[in-house]
Amino acid sequence: MSAIVTTDLAKHYDDVRALDGVSVTLAEHRIHGLLGRNGAGKTTLMQLLTGQVFATAGEMRVLGQSPVENAEVLSQTAFIQESQRYPDTFRAVDVLRIAAGAYPHWDQAYADTLVAQFQLPERRMIKKLSRGQFSAIGIVIGLASRAPITFFDEPYLGLDAVARRMFYDRLLADFSEHPRTVVLSTHHIDEVANLLEHVVILDQGRVLLDADTDELHDAAITVSGRAADVDAFLAGREALDRTRLGGLATATLTTRDGDERAAREAGLDVAPVSLQELFVHLTTASATAPATAGADPATDVATV
Amino acid sequence: MRIRNVVQLHTVNRLQAFGWPLVIMSLSLTITLIIGALVVGVGGADARTGMNTGMQWNGAIFALLGPLIGFGFIAMGQYFPLALGLGLTRREFAAGTALVFVGNAAFYAAVVTIGKVVEVATGGFGLGVRFFDTFYTGIGAWWQTLVQTFLLILAVMLVGAAITTAFHRWGQSFLWVFWIGLAAVVLAVVAGALLSDAFRAAAMDVLGMAWGGWMVVIAGFAALGAAVWLTLVRRAQAR
Amino acid sequence: MLDDSKPLFVAVAEQIEDGILDGTYAEDGPVPSTNELAAFLRINPATAGKGLGLLVDAEVLIKRRGIGMFVAPGAREALRQRRRLAFEDQYIAPLLREAEQLGISPDDLARMITKEFAR
Repeated sequence: MSAIVTTDLAKHYDDVRALDGVSVTLAEHRIHGLLGRNGAGKTTLMQLLTGQVFATAGEMRVLGQSPVENAEVLSQTAFIQESQRYPDTFRAVDVLRIAAGAYPHWDQAYADTLVAQFQLPERRMIKKLSRGQFSAIGIVIGLASRAPITFFDEPYLGLDAVARRMFYDRLLADFSEHPRTVVLSTHHIDEVANLLEHVVILDQGRVLLDADTDELHDAAITVSGRAADVDAFLAGREALDRTRLGGLATATLTTRDGDERAAREAGLDVAPVSLQELFVHLTTASATAPATAGADPATDVATV
Repeated sequence: MRIRNVVQLHTVNRLQAFGWPLVIMSLSLTITLIIGALVVGVGGADARTGMNTGMQWNGAIFALLGPLIGFGFIAMGQYFPLALGLGLTRREFAAGTALVFVGNAAFYAAVVTIGKVVEVATGGFGLGVRFFDTFYTGIGAWWQTLVQTFLLILAVMLVGAAITTAFHRWGQSFLWVFWIGLAAVVLAVVAGALLSDAFRAAAMDVLGMAWGGWMVVIAGFAALGAAVWLTLVRRAQAR
Repeated sequence: MLDDSKPLFVAVAEQIEDGILDGTYAEDGPVPSTNELAAFLRINPATAGKGLGLLVDAEVLIKRRGIGMFVAPGAREALRQRRRLAFEDQYIAPLLREAEQLGISPDDLARMITKEFAR
């Protein structure tokens, strides 16, 4: 079953098209990655799906219903946003107490464990917390709410590598025990790549790529070798990225069947392209290419 | 409806919701009593009578009412984004917050009324001071104070919530319109009072109207604030 | 830890295979569950499950309902056979290609291998 379906969803602010014709389907009980550069529309999409803002056009279904002003859906939805604002006088313990009442599946014992693990000073005013401690509040709520749909929007700004790893471990362990739909938006793509089962990349308010991570592994390769050999291999094909150093060259391209073998036979080295690299190449290509041509590499990948 | 969660949102921090206003009120009352003791000790009975009359206008009670004026602003400015963030609907937030507004108004109106009854019964705490029994809270019967403070507190919270919601919706341009509109009204009244005898006479009639009339006016403001707030909050977006 | 030149679930399967070949997982013995594997490797449980599924399909593992996954009897030998078949493609061919580039004759190569083997 699909947890989330959007059809031509759009959100315009005055003259800014924050989201423009987004149609995605996110399956239930999976961890989805929502990636994109700053301003790509990730937060807007999550705000729409949680009824924080209203759509300009299009349709959306969360757990089969419209989420707008829908308590039945919204009580099943946790949205942990990087920019969440809290009342000036609040302490973490205040927020957690309200969250405990608002989410039907809340697990207080688990919340207490997380508070201890992330060393969150519960009784200090939130406005006096460090950025990392601030993020920990969201992580505790996002995990302990056990909401059937949980959105994490840059959940760990200010957290160090140890705490981030702890978040991944907790997320995986809890996800295994209590399967639910997780949408994770982050800039730390390399760190989360192995956690994700499905990825949506947004760029300038539109879907640039929508694919399972398994498929993405073969979606692009980087070939390197003598410049003449690389040129001959490409034979006029569009590359996502090309660099040249003297007589040597590398090129990253979206693959078609048999590319890898052909490249090896042409005497080129072939290397896989990580999700992070693919993301950079795709978003760079779309930013630099003219509007019409820019869509090509994306559609190539999206149809693998 | 998860109204209980919204009420909890406003009251979870008991010190902030109830503790501070009462502490500040007590401090303010203490200062009034000290002043009263000094005046009576130094000036004697004459000074005491004069002070008692003058203190009809003692605004020290605003130490309690002041924070409540901010309550409406804070409810929309700070609590609304968190309520949405925690998956509460606008309808739930509005219902719960309205309930909190009414509860707040009732609670503090009761506090003031009890204070007034004690103050009157003890002859101004034995010092002839006025803290609760003032013009702003009503110098008539105790039930008038109860009604007056209740309506006053409710009205400022609703109008505050309405203004904040409108500001979120239209931003700075709303504030411009609001202040310009207010300035225009004030200017018109001042001009009318200075230039027209008939206007001045009518204005005096309005100002001199009975207590009941004033209560209707305050209730009118409360109703207007509630209407604007409830209409706008249903379409308010997180920022 | 995992070979990133292959899809993640294939790398997961190969890691289990390595464990069976080197005796970490005995025949008829249990292998880690999907969730244990996911937590240990810090990967999505679905990916771990897919890797294990690959081995079930290849009859290297058998699923016992309600208990877990176990190494199939004879799996070790079967894996060894399969890896031997792939050995030439995976290791010998690239070795010869590199040797040719460096001007190492097949005889020299054989001598080098014998010498390394003796150590």
